[in-house]
Amino acid sequence: MAYTRNSTSRPGSDRRGSSQRGSSGQIRKKRTCRFCDNKEDYVDYKAEKKLQRFVSEQGRIIPKRITGTCAKHQRMLVTAIKRARHLALLPFVSDAVK
Amino acid sequence: MPDVKRVYETTFIVNASLDDHQIDTVIDKVKDLITKNGGEIREFVKWGRKRFAYPIKKKNNGFYVVIEFSAPGDVIAKLERHYFLDESILRYLSLVLDKRALAARTTAALLAAEQPAAEVKPEEAPKAAALEGAVVQNPAGAPA
Repeated sequence: MAYTRNSTSRPGSDRRGSSQRGSSGQIRKKRTCRFCDNKEDYVDYKAEKKLQRFVSEQGRIIPKRITGTCAKHQRMLVTAIKRARHLALLPFVSDAVK
Repeated sequence: MPDVKRVYETTFIVNASLDDHQIDTVIDKVKDLITKNGGEIREFVKWGRKRFAYPIKKKNNGFYVVIEFSAPGDVIAKLERHYFLDESILRYLSLVLDKRALAARTTAALLAAEQPAAEVKPEEAPKAAALEGAVVQNPAGAPA
C-alpha cells in the first residue's frame, strides 16, 4: 500500500522537490497565503471574482499546495466556494467539461 | 430566549422573468416577514439581475437580493419556509454572521468609507452618498 502511494505521489513530489531545491537551477519564491498577507479574516462567498482565482478552469477547487493558501484560510475558502456554487455564482462543473 | 438576537445574512434569488414591480413585492414580503417577527434589517442590497453559472429550473438569469438583519432565531425557520413555498424564489442561503464575519464587514466598511472620502471630489460626494442611500438602507448599522 505504501509503495503504491509512493509511486502515485511521485510526479507531484518530484516537481516540488526540483523547484524547491533548484536542481534545474531555478529557485522559486516561497508562496504565501494571500489572505494572511492581506490580513483578511473572513472569506466572503459573494466575492465571486476573488473566489474564481482559487478554482480551476473546470471549476474544481485548487489545492492549497498549489495556491499556497494556509490551512485556516483554505477551510474558509472551501466553504465560501461551496456557498457560491449553491447560489450559482460559481459553477460545479464548467461548461467546457460538460 | 426570544430576547436573544443574532445577526444573520440571507441571500435569495428571485425569478428574473417577473416584472420589476412583481420582484419588488416578493422582496417586500420577505422584508415584512423579518420585521414583523421582531427582526431588524441592518443592510439591504439589491444585486439585480445576474447570469447563473449553471441553469436553475431551466432559467439562466436571476435577481439577487442580500439582506443583513438581526433577529431572534425562530425567524430563520419561518423565513426558510416562506422561501420554500414562494415559487418565484429560486434559491436561498441564510447564514449566521459570527464575530469574525462581522469584524471583516466593519473593517471593509471602514476602508470603503476612508477611500472615497480621500478620492472623491467634494461635488461628487453627495451624489455618491445618495446612491449609497438607495441601496443601503441602514448605513448606521456599520460604525462609520
